[in-house]
Amino acid sequence: MRPLYLAPLARLPVAIGAIAFLFLGVFLVYPLWCVLSASVLTADGSAFTLQNYARVLSRTYYRASIFNSLTIGAVASLTTTLIALPLAFGIARLEIRGKLVLIGLAALPLILPSFVGAYALLLLFGRSGLVTQTLNAWGIPIGSIYGTPGIVLVYTMTLYPYVLLPTVAGLKAVDRSVEEAAESLGSTPARTFRTVTLPLVAPSVLSGALLVLIETLENFGVPAVLAEDKTILAVEAYKLFIGETATNPGAAAVLGSLLIALTALILLIQRRYVAGRSFATGARSIPPPIRLTAPWHTLATLYCWGVVLLALVPFFAILTLSFLEFRGPVLHRAFSLGNYAELWSTARGPLANTLILASLAAGLAALIGVPVGWVLARTRSSLTSVLDVLSTLPFAIAGTVLAIGLVIAFNSGGLVLTGGWLIIIIAYTVRKLPFTVRASSAIVHQIDPSLEEASVSLGVSPLVTFLRLTVPLMLGGIVSGLVLTWVTLASELSSTVVLYSGPWRTLTVVMFQAVEGTGAGVAVAAASVLIGIALIPVVIAYRLLRANELSML
Amino acid sequence: MSSIAIEGARRSFASVLAVRDITLKIEDGEFFTLLGPSGCGKTTLLRLIAGFAELEAGRISFGDTRIDRLPPHRRNIGMVFQNYAIFPNLTVAGNVAYGLKARHVARADVSRRVEEALALVRLIGLGERWPHQLSGGQLQRVAIARALVIRPEVLLLDEPLSNLDARLRVDMRGEIRHLQQRLGITTVYVTHDQEEALAVSQRIAVMEAGRIEQLGSPEDVYRQPASLFVARFMGTTNVLAGIVAARDGERMHVRIATTTISLPALHDARDGDRLHLCVRPEALRIVRNGEGTKDGEIALTATMANCEFIGPLIRLDLALSDGSPLKLAMLDRPLPPAAAGDRITVAFPLDRLSIFPQAAT
Repeated sequence: MRPLYLAPLARLPVAIGAIAFLFLGVFLVYPLWCVLSASVLTADGSAFTLQNYARVLSRTYYRASIFNSLTIGAVASLTTTLIALPLAFGIARLEIRGKLVLIGLAALPLILPSFVGAYALLLLFGRSGLVTQTLNAWGIPIGSIYGTPGIVLVYTMTLYPYVLLPTVAGLKAVDRSVEEAAESLGSTPARTFRTVTLPLVAPSVLSGALLVLIETLENFGVPAVLAEDKTILAVEAYKLFIGETATNPGAAAVLGSLLIALTALILLIQRRYVAGRSFATGARSIPPPIRLTAPWHTLATLYCWGVVLLALVPFFAILTLSFLEFRGPVLHRAFSLGNYAELWSTARGPLANTLILASLAAGLAALIGVPVGWVLARTRSSLTSVLDVLSTLPFAIAGTVLAIGLVIAFNSGGLVLTGGWLIIIIAYTVRKLPFTVRASSAIVHQIDPSLEEASVSLGVSPLVTFLRLTVPLMLGGIVSGLVLTWVTLASELSSTVVLYSGPWRTLTVVMFQAVEGTGAGVAVAAASVLIGIALIPVVIAYRLLRANELSML
Repeated sequence: MSSIAIEGARRSFASVLAVRDITLKIEDGEFFTLLGPSGCGKTTLLRLIAGFAELEAGRISFGDTRIDRLPPHRRNIGMVFQNYAIFPNLTVAGNVAYGLKARHVARADVSRRVEEALALVRLIGLGERWPHQLSGGQLQRVAIARALVIRPEVLLLDEPLSNLDARLRVDMRGEIRHLQQRLGITTVYVTHDQEEALAVSQRIAVMEAGRIEQLGSPEDVYRQPASLFVARFMGTTNVLAGIVAARDGERMHVRIATTTISLPALHDARDGDRLHLCVRPEALRIVRNGEGTKDGEIALTATMANCEFIGPLIRLDLALSDGSPLKLAMLDRPLPPAAAGDRITVAFPLDRLSIFPQAAT
């Protein structure tokens, strides 16, 4: 038998792959395995049982949570698609004034914390909300936004870019000559759109809609703020696990496992049947902008700007409200910096924690994600496809479930991490890895592999070539990826809320607790700071960012 | 500088054997070309020498040193890539200095050797330019300078001219050949362009399906193709179908269309065997009225179908009596006085005829 021999050029990818497998194995697969096994084991972990499932699923309350999560997700996928499709067409094909700014603003909801949007909705349209009270004073009744309507509304406003961005890209990739061919055969423009253009972009639209569905299923913050008595899977799992009265890890694991199964299944469908099926016609001639008659053009402009700006209204509202005076939960119409003063006096530590944890985790995610992205782009084997799947998986895992898994896995035994800062960083890193890996492998795909071969042929080892040539060539992309992971981690709530311990509260936890309690002033100030933390770096680094990258966040 | 010895090199991708047990010796200082259609394995063989692909079996040595287990960055090769692979983040001088710095050459020597290398490829004074400011031809010169400046043992060129326009391609190939002769560096050149291969090489290996079909000087592979594939691949050729009508000791009578000609026998030829007979269009000449055939010439009668005048060349499309096509090319001759449909006689020297048994399919 030939001795085990590793080809010289395979050594670096294998080493990187080994580290990645080790990291993901220990901090993703093992915790998920813990969740799954906790769901099928007796409380003392001694025997296999389906009791947990039977007990949870026999209760209407929990069955409803599955139904509610799926219903809300399906409706939100539909509404985002309905909102985003005309908008995408307008951006891709019409001459809308200030289009570049419009695209930038349209991508913003992806980096702004969605639960802040939910909280804004609560402050404006909630039972004692600003708008509600004003309208009530005028005798105009307003429906309740608690439960499904509010949650769907927030999802629509914050998740529509997931459909918008791929659809715009898809529309731009349609070769004009295909449409011209249809028209030369006697098809009217409207029929051409329906029978040629729309089918060509359908995979992009559907893929975006499925991402929306995944996002809604795993989102914790929005339903935590707005659901009231509506049961939602991700929230119920959290409540069962953290449990104010009695914790019930077995039942939490059942809901967690169900959630994993659902989101993983949807991601699988999205990857396997939709994302790969794009009919990129490799646009050789970019379609010229369509000219509309004046009234239609005005209408289109109003629609595009209207949607994009409306989606940002909640965030403007939060920023405005943060400068008003709150006494307890009651709002007074007077300018005040009191909210910030209070936040500063009570939450300096959490602010520092947020910045430190986000920075370390963004760095770690880049440190692991960039080399892994390179390996995925440069080598092809059955192991790399496993690595590809594994590094995409966290996208489909709800933050709460991952965090529950990490707690079960590292609460005792050889490696105890609970209660510290490291476990939060690990959770953050795992959650952002899909984005870092995809973004960096997309950049590597644009770098001709013969550049690296040229360097190696000149006597530079593969590792040094990677560090001295590939990384500098990727630098713009790496920096933009770092900025995006950093800003989204700063507003991470779903895993933090499970994992934080006394000294390691973050700003999101402060805000979450203030929302739960009566500290509306602190909550609004914290929310504003979170908006600022997200916006400022992105505005500074805007030139580096590419809107398309955002849809993997 | 050193010779390259390849012994039993084998490499497959998935289930396709890209290089099938090739054994080959490239002499010290030789300009050697791997020629073949795309997918024939020529680039794979070059990448095996460079180390970018791994041998499955066999060995490769530079001189007496076996190198196939060395990683590519320790093989001391100079490689020029099809798309130049110029580092966009470095200046021209930075690109050329890249390999010197990897070898820890002293700083003063680096700038001197970079200058020399740029002078060698006639790019004096362009060291501070950025790659995006250069033309394709200039980029290719930078790539060559970058490969040569490290004084590699062997120079490997992977279709270096295929991204240049036609005229520049002709100039550059002359320059590469000239440079190689001056430096005497062992060079392996990969191309799919037979004219380019003929123009620059000392020896050519014509490859097909992972094997070397023929190895020889440019004149050999063009004039004495070893197989029907080589005959067809090396430029235009007429492939005539013939049948052995009668074997007669050292001679055989072969029927082409309705003419029977006498040829030296293939050693295993038997009556009724089918043959491919290849003759280049430019080997044919028109036998004018009253002219006879010379000694050792074979004459065929054919019908004019079409006459194409393309400047230096005149191309005739003819048809034999059974309708099979025959091409004829003449350099700098007056147009033939024949019109379409006229019968003419053509002749060619026997030694320009290549005969291959038709594979029993």
